[in-house]
Order: sequence, then C-alpha cells, then structure tokens
Amino acid sequence: MADLVLRVLRGLALALVLVFFLFPIVWILLMSFQTNETILRLPPSLAFDPTLANYKALLTGTMETSSGTLQVTFLRNLGNSVLLASLSVGLSLLLGVPAAYAFARFRFRLGEDIAFTLLSFRFAPPLLVLLPLSLYFNELGLADTYAGLIWVYQLICLPLVLWIVRSHFEEAGVEVENAYRLDGHSWWAGFRKVAIPLAMPGIAAAGLLAFIFAWNNFVFALILASADKQPVTVGALAFVTASGIQYGQIAAAIVLSILPTLALALYAQRWLVEGLSLGAVKG
Amino acid sequence: MTEKAREFCEALVQGRIGRREFGRRMAALGIGTGAAGAMLNAASTQALAQGFDWGRHRGRSIKLLLNKHPYTDAMVANLDSFKQLTGMNVAYDVFPEDVYFDRVTAALSSRSAEYDAFMTGAYQTWQYGPAGWLVDLNEYIKDAGKTAPNYNWDDVLPNLRASTAWSGQPGAELGGPGSKQWAIPWGFELNSLAYNRRILERMGVGVPKSLPELAEASAKISRDGGGQLYGVGVRGSRSWATIHPGFLSGYANYGQRDFTVEGGKLRPAMATPQSKEFHRLWVKMIQDGGPRNWATYTWYQVGTDLGAGASAMIFDADILGYFMNGGDNRERGNIAYAAFKPNPAAQAPTPNAWIWSLAMSSASRQKDAAWAFMQWASGTEHGLFGARKMDFVNPVRASVWKDEEFRARIARSYPGYLEQYDASAPGSKIYFTPQPLFFNLTTEWAASLQRMVTKEVPVDEGLDRLAESVTRQLRQAGIG
Repeated sequence: MADLVLRVLRGLALALVLVFFLFPIVWILLMSFQTNETILRLPPSLAFDPTLANYKALLTGTMETSSGTLQVTFLRNLGNSVLLASLSVGLSLLLGVPAAYAFARFRFRLGEDIAFTLLSFRFAPPLLVLLPLSLYFNELGLADTYAGLIWVYQLICLPLVLWIVRSHFEEAGVEVENAYRLDGHSWWAGFRKVAIPLAMPGIAAAGLLAFIFAWNNFVFALILASADKQPVTVGALAFVTASGIQYGQIAAAIVLSILPTLALALYAQRWLVEGLSLGAVKG
Repeated sequence: MTEKAREFCEALVQGRIGRREFGRRMAALGIGTGAAGAMLNAASTQALAQGFDWGRHRGRSIKLLLNKHPYTDAMVANLDSFKQLTGMNVAYDVFPEDVYFDRVTAALSSRSAEYDAFMTGAYQTWQYGPAGWLVDLNEYIKDAGKTAPNYNWDDVLPNLRASTAWSGQPGAELGGPGSKQWAIPWGFELNSLAYNRRILERMGVGVPKSLPELAEASAKISRDGGGQLYGVGVRGSRSWATIHPGFLSGYANYGQRDFTVEGGKLRPAMATPQSKEFHRLWVKMIQDGGPRNWATYTWYQVGTDLGAGASAMIFDADILGYFMNGGDNRERGNIAYAAFKPNPAAQAPTPNAWIWSLAMSSASRQKDAAWAFMQWASGTEHGLFGARKMDFVNPVRASVWKDEEFRARIARSYPGYLEQYDASAPGSKIYFTPQPLFFNLTTEWAASLQRMVTKEVPVDEGLDRLAESVTRQLRQAGIG
C-alpha cells in the first residue's frame, strides 16, 4: 500500500515538473494557431478557432498588419541560421577535434596556455570585440559575407568543441591506440579508427551544443552583416513593429525555429546524455 | 496623353483645380481612373524635375539603413518613381527597431562607408553629430546647385526644422545660432490623448481636459474595471523612452524644464517645488489608474493594451493611437483622439515630439547622390504619396497637412485626429535640453520615477537624490 502511495506521489511530482517546464512551450504552440485578437483577450482562454494564418504568413512572406501588408523574410532568416550554424560547427569540428586530440595526447611548450586562450574566447563579451572586428572586416572585405560570419562564429563553437572533446580523448586512454599501433598501423589510422570512435559521444555532444549556441547567437550577424544575412534570432524581431506586436507570428516563428535543433537533439540523444555526463565528470 | 488631359494633370499638380474636378474632367474625356492616375504620376515626375537635373547621378547606387516602420514601407512602395526620376539604384537594409540603433551606432562608429544615409531620431543626432559621424545638411539645403528649386525647405514645420538642428554646445537652443542641420525631419509624432469611446461611454466618464482630470478618470475606471481594465496607459520601463512621450509633454505644460543653463553650465531643474508637485500628480495617476506592470511598459505594451481594450486611454504618441484604430485590433474603430493640455492654467498643449529623420553618414563616398535621395524622400511629392496612400503620418510638411485628399481620409477613419493635431502642432517640439549625456541621465530619471511609483522612495526625496546624481555626472563631464 505504501509503495502504491509512493508511486502515485512520484507520478504526481513528475507530472508537476513536466507541466512546469513544458507549459511555456505548449502555450507558444497554442498561440501559433491563434490571431492577435484571441491571444490578447482577457482573461486568456484555451478555447479558440485554430488558424494557420500565422504559418501561412511566414511561409508566403507577406503579413497583414494594422498599417498594411508587410514583407516577411523569415524563411530567409531560417535558411541563414541553418547555413551559419551548420557550417560553423562543421569547421569547428574539423579544426577542434584534431586540436583536442593534440592537447589530450601530447605535452608541448605553452600547450595549456594555448588551450586556455582558446577557452577565453568564451569569456569575452562579444560587444567588446565586435567594434574592432567590424573595422578589420571592412578592411579585409569580410564584412557582410557568410565566410566572415562563419569565421567569427568560431569564437562560440571552437572552444566548446575543443574542451569537451579533449576530456573525452583523455578519458578514453591511450592504451587501446598504442595496442593498435603496435599491430603496425600508422598514427593517423589510430586517430581515425580508434580515438575518434571512442570519443564519438563527446564529439556528438560538443557538436550539438556548439550548434545550439551558434543557432542562438544574436549579435555577431546583427553588427557584421546586412539584413539579408540575418539569422532567425534577429529576424523574429521583425514581428515587433511600430504598429503593433504580431504575437501569433512570433509564436509560429519560434515553433519553426526550434524544429531544427529539436530534430538534431532527438537524433543525437543517445550520444548526448553519455557525452555530456562523461564530460561533466571529467571536467 | 492628349493635350487636354496633360493640361488637367498639370492644373492638378499646380493646385489650380481640385481632385474631384480633375476626375470629372478626365471622365469627360473618356479617361478611366487607372489611366488618369498613370498620367498624373507622369505629370508629377515632370513637375518634380522642373529646373533641376535629377539625372546627374544616373547609374549610381546608394545604400540606406532603415528602421522597420510604416515610413519605410511608404518609401519602399514609392521607390520606383525615384529610380525613374534619377536613373539611380537604391539598396537598403531594414532592421527591427529593437536593434536598429545598435546597428546604426556600430556602422557610424566604425566609419563604415557601407551606408550613405539612414533613419535616425533627433535625440540620437546629439551623439552622432558632435562625434563627426554626420554631415551638416545646411551645406546641401543652401546650395542651389544641389537642391531642386521646388524642394521648399521652409514648408517643413519650423519647430521640426529647429528640433533637428543643434550647434553641439551643451544646453544651447535647438535651431539656435551656429546650429548644424544634422538631419532632415521625415515623419513625426506628438503626444496627445487617445481614448476608447466605447469604454468611456460605458463607464460614464467624459474625455479628460487636464492632468488632474485624467488622473481622476483613470482611477475611477481602474476601480470600476473589475481587474480587467485600467484607466490610462503610459510608458514605465527603465529607459529614456519613458520620459519623452506623455511625461515630458505634461512636464513642459506645467512650465518645467529638465535643466537650466547658466554661464554655459547645466544645472538639473527636476527638484524644484513645482517639479515635485508635477511628479506627485504623475506618480499618483499611475498608482491609482495605470497598468499593473507599469514598470515594464514600453511603446508596445501601451499600444497593445489600448488596441485590445485593456486600457481606456493613453497619453502617448498620437500615431500609436492611430495604428491601434486599425488592423486586427479588437477595439479598431472605437479609438478617438483629443488634444491634451495637462496644466489647467496653460494656454495650449505643449507635446514633446519624436521626429524620425534622415541623416547622411560623413563616411559616405557618394554624398551628392545620397542627398538626391534624401531631398526626394523628404520632398512634397513623396510626402503626399505617403500621406494619401500609406501610413506616412504625421507628415512634416505644412503643404501636406493642407492636402484635401489626406485630410478627408484621416477625418473619415480617425475621428478627432485632425482636430487634435491642429490644436497640438503649434506647440509641439523637442522640450529636452540638448546635451551629450541625454540617454544616461534621462534613463536615470525613468529609474527614479519607477522607485517613486513603487513607493520605494518618497517623490521629494527621489527627486533630490536624482538632482544630486545628475549634478555629479554633469560636473564629471565638464558641463555642470
């Protein structure tokens, strides 16, 4: 009997926690199927006639407001976010995984200093570096280019990849690799066929985290690129207009913009939990 | 185009016949509305080009930095006529208002030549102008070789021309001696009362005529509103933008200033007995009749509540009430407008103005071409187009305000708007004292107001503390 009570209480507690954390997301989902008028009625209600008008506005690129028809560039913003986040993470993995391996396996002069310097990129407030950066970008012709933005996004992605993956290489230990090389395989083959598969949960976790951080970035593209290269984080603000806030379209934009990261997180879930918890224990 | 039709078009453009008469005569010639409109556009373009070589920058391309705003939409909708007139190409970047000024500041301070001209508020020019980031537009306005003879700068409302010009001397009068014209007024808003007729009638409340009446009416509505309705929406976030609309308009109407200037030095004037009296009235109005989360209220919340029927009145930008009377707002069609004289003893309203303006970057490499665009965008033709067909309100030109078609449109859909404008406009200008610490000190003023409304500090003490802090900062900056 006591067991049953405990189980019920535990279930209730879990349900409460779920409702607490999921309520904002569910509410946003419901808002995305409502007009501004039903969203803003007092008191708020769960009963409404669902409409797809908000999604239609986002997908067709035109929005009706109190001051007429406005052009919506949300799909372009979404495309920019996908492009910037995936290419930035790809480049970070390409540079960061070998670097993490080097930091984990070899001791060399100034090695820790270099690793810490790379980590310090995460500490610096972006606004501190943005103005000098925009001056250099103007000189170098990198201002308002995807290549320039992907380069700057390394400030977000590279330290994450480097430090998370490094701890996984260290955790995996060098013995298996040494045994593989004793069998006559090259160092490069050992890196590819032993070290990387062993560190894969960490690489997946680091890649996903870096993707989320890159996806959520706001200020780099805002300052360094023109309107046609802005990600969703800036694009979503376009629904806050002088003539009113389009709450329904903001909600629909949020729903659409969390889909890519949600899909990626679901796909990488099994590596993610292992990768993050291992990294957390090892520090 | 037949000779007769051409004559009628020219007569309308020159104001010799009215629009109705024009339509009647064109119909008599058997020319339909669409064709008549096209002929009229052609005649307008020719009239605009008279005596000025608009094509001198043909083939050039300029780039603009713009805020997402109905003014921008109106310009974009009419941009083809500029391209036809000049043979120029115009590229533009539009950013949402929440991040717009970050983008402008970054572009100007990095001396980027990417943007030739951009939208700005007048207050921002107090920072951008003295920093050397803007061009003094007097160089162009006064140059007959660069400005079309029919540009008619004097047609722009005098208070707005003055409010966008400053010598850079802290405390010096806007538009006074030695002023540089940092920007060209483009569209503006003044602060009046907008109210929900339906709610006021239901609650048995008349339209308030003064601040004490507004406070009393708001308190009654909040009291009787059953928690679903409050009296008056005003801004309250910790930002300079809380001070500049209704608050400063009322403050100025009570004869109060933000600073006094003695011997070139600024002294805060917020802690005088009269100022304290005004603050007490304002704070009480918010406590008894304002929104519950007043301290988070910006332009958006004030407007949204009026449009959704959560507030009965707002004392804010007249165009905010204008926008809330349309679109998918629940209360569309119920909003009305009234000029507002907060001080019962004052002669007339004194609304503080927010002026969206066009400015030219000093880093631009094609300033003459940028000026060609700026004079077109701020000219009478585009002003008329925006006012008649789009939401390019409030126009900054006296001639546009006299336009019959525009007035008829506003009178039809926005009851009382023209009357509030006509009564308010003569006294409308920027009532702040221009000085380089404007944003910091005005934000601090808003923060003090928040503490007074939440009763964290009594009004008198809060203002004494504010004055002390402002004095200290002015001294540190060498201007106090």
